[in-house]
Amino acid sequence: MRTLIRGGRVLDPSQGLDANRDVLIENGFVVQLGEHLDAGDARVVDAGGAIVAPGFVDMHVHLREPGQTHKETIATGTAAAVAGGFTAVACMPNTDPALDSAAIVSEVMRRADAAGLARVYPVGAITKNRAGRELAPYHLLADAGCVAFSDDGSTPRDARVLRNAARYAAELPHAFISHCEDPDLKGDAVMNEGAASVRLGLEGSPGLAEDVIVARDLLIAESAGKAWHIAHVSTATSLDLIRWARSRGVRVTCEVTPHHLVFLDDRFDDYRADTKVNPPLRAEHDREALRAAVLDGTIDVFATDHAPHGLDEKAQLLSVAPVGFTGLEIAVGAYALALPELPVARFVELLSVNPARILGIPGGTLAIGSVGDVTVFADRAWTVDARLFRSKGKNTPFDGMTLPRRALATIVEGSVVFEHGRVLPREEIPV
Amino acid sequence: MPPRSLLDVDDLTPEELVGVLDRAVAFRDVLPPRDLLAGVPVLNLFFEASTRTATSFTLAEQRVGADVISFAPGASSLGKGETIADTALTLRGIGVRVIVVRHPESGFARRLADAFDGHVVNAGDGTHAHPTQALLDLMTLRNEFGRFAGLKIAIVGDILHSRVARSNIVGMRALGIDVTLVGPATLLPDAFAAPGLRIERSLDDVLPHVDAVMMLRIQRERIAGGLLPSLEDYTQRYQLNRARLRALRHDAVILHPGPYNRGVELTDDVLDDPRSRYVAQVHNGVFVRMAVLDLLVNGAPVVA
Repeated sequence: MRTLIRGGRVLDPSQGLDANRDVLIENGFVVQLGEHLDAGDARVVDAGGAIVAPGFVDMHVHLREPGQTHKETIATGTAAAVAGGFTAVACMPNTDPALDSAAIVSEVMRRADAAGLARVYPVGAITKNRAGRELAPYHLLADAGCVAFSDDGSTPRDARVLRNAARYAAELPHAFISHCEDPDLKGDAVMNEGAASVRLGLEGSPGLAEDVIVARDLLIAESAGKAWHIAHVSTATSLDLIRWARSRGVRVTCEVTPHHLVFLDDRFDDYRADTKVNPPLRAEHDREALRAAVLDGTIDVFATDHAPHGLDEKAQLLSVAPVGFTGLEIAVGAYALALPELPVARFVELLSVNPARILGIPGGTLAIGSVGDVTVFADRAWTVDARLFRSKGKNTPFDGMTLPRRALATIVEGSVVFEHGRVLPREEIPV
Repeated sequence: MPPRSLLDVDDLTPEELVGVLDRAVAFRDVLPPRDLLAGVPVLNLFFEASTRTATSFTLAEQRVGADVISFAPGASSLGKGETIADTALTLRGIGVRVIVVRHPESGFARRLADAFDGHVVNAGDGTHAHPTQALLDLMTLRNEFGRFAGLKIAIVGDILHSRVARSNIVGMRALGIDVTLVGPATLLPDAFAAPGLRIERSLDDVLPHVDAVMMLRIQRERIAGGLLPSLEDYTQRYQLNRARLRALRHDAVILHPGPYNRGVELTDDVLDDPRSRYVAQVHNGVFVRMAVLDLLVNGAPVVA
């Protein structure tokens, strides 16, 4: 099976490549980069006028399976992924049951194979049932296919538990991923604490709720010598803490979502839960700090925190409506909207090279011999219509907005799984 | 065009607000004929217990001739958004034209109004707004001072959890009243600070300089919630009592949205003090609510 991606500008920061090249993939691997390659019997993807990059990786998505398949399934979530230009996703363990045993992780991977679209890399739980008390079986989870560990959605309240988890798992290369919100400081908050929450009479969560857990987790990372990744950073102080930890030699990386880069906590006047999310949308000085931190290199990764829910669930009262919204199908455009001045090579690093490196997975490069995962994208404006999403989650604050960039084609292991607006099943690779 | 619903004071322009107060004063002077809302079905939908507000609304509705229906469902029913829309459709189908609603969650009145093809009067939503209470407070103040601009008012106590304070802040700022908020930082976060809105931590510093002081109720659950150490510690600094009454000007007035906790935010001396206007406030409430219903359903008054 051969696939030729022809006529594009190949942008591969992993090898410092930015040139017009054709990319030939054979039986799942990149075999040739060159000009005017002969197509022969290859399936041809016309990338004229577009950028050809190593496949994008969203290292923070919620696929909801098992247990909440009315919100999303592995099949619909990976269809959304490839339609958004992602060749791989890391799925968070807050399923029902949680991803805290090898059996469940294996089942997720089996279903991902059956779906045959994006690669799916499970993130195992840090504690059993994400309850923050007993340690999850890290070595068994790693053997089953987990690429990182996290209790995402919450944090172990007990620092002793987290410290022991980090020490026990220290020799595994798998990063711990922290969702940083102190549950006591957060309380029953539905939005950011600030002038808007005070005016609206809504309970707010202060940036402090994030900052204290970032500080705690970075100190635990340092003491345990564990590689750590801070999920969806949302405050200026968190960024300062991450810089400080790096100056002490802590191995820490971090990610930012599109919504924290674009929106503010000023969208609750209608008391709808459309922008209710954890951590909450913040005030302007935090958003500006996040944008600056992408540009100065403090932030390593773009990750969407794709969190699909039913429209009826999000239409409930603010106090009971679930947190989050979908992200996979708007990410490429939304990040370009947030940061028009970001060099495209850096854009590719944040969406591909860095997340692949942090997770230790194939991809993040188009070097000869590497896996044939490719994203073709271009600066073409389009208008978001959430009703057309492949994801079951039709809720996004980006709905109706015009975004300046989009994915045109997605190739996984040499198979064209998304092109011309259509999602296609992966082809079999002959043995 | 008058607003379709009254969810907070700022649904009214300052002119409409003064118009409502004028109308309320006129109703207080001479009760109107009982046909202003003749045959209009008005539903009192109280998800949260209320004695004074529910009674006041009911009397106001009867005095304008509405067909009054009252229903007090539990707070947990109608919790879901889909059900808000369904309920709104159903009630409109039955023929309800006005819903007076109280709910423990901030924003409930707004969510209901967005789904209901009729008028909604917010009788209190969570810690957000209680516009008819603010209107009756403003009516009481105007009755006392004959003006709003330049008045100095202190609102004291648990501002964070007070829908009365929020609605008064909105109304008073729109009318040019100089507002000072007084309380400890746990009940009055710095985030309240805004142009024309001062925050003070000492009641003693503020009392001698105000035309009116509004004392908010302090609930014991703030102690269990870790926001106050004890009522004794709070009262030492923020209670209006005999000693502090001496610091209050002779021509100043004392407001309280009720129900008050004797011995907590104020003492018996305050209720007996000739400057206390609690009874005038609740008396004015009925006429303000009649005026609001009349405005929403019938529109601007015919100028005589």
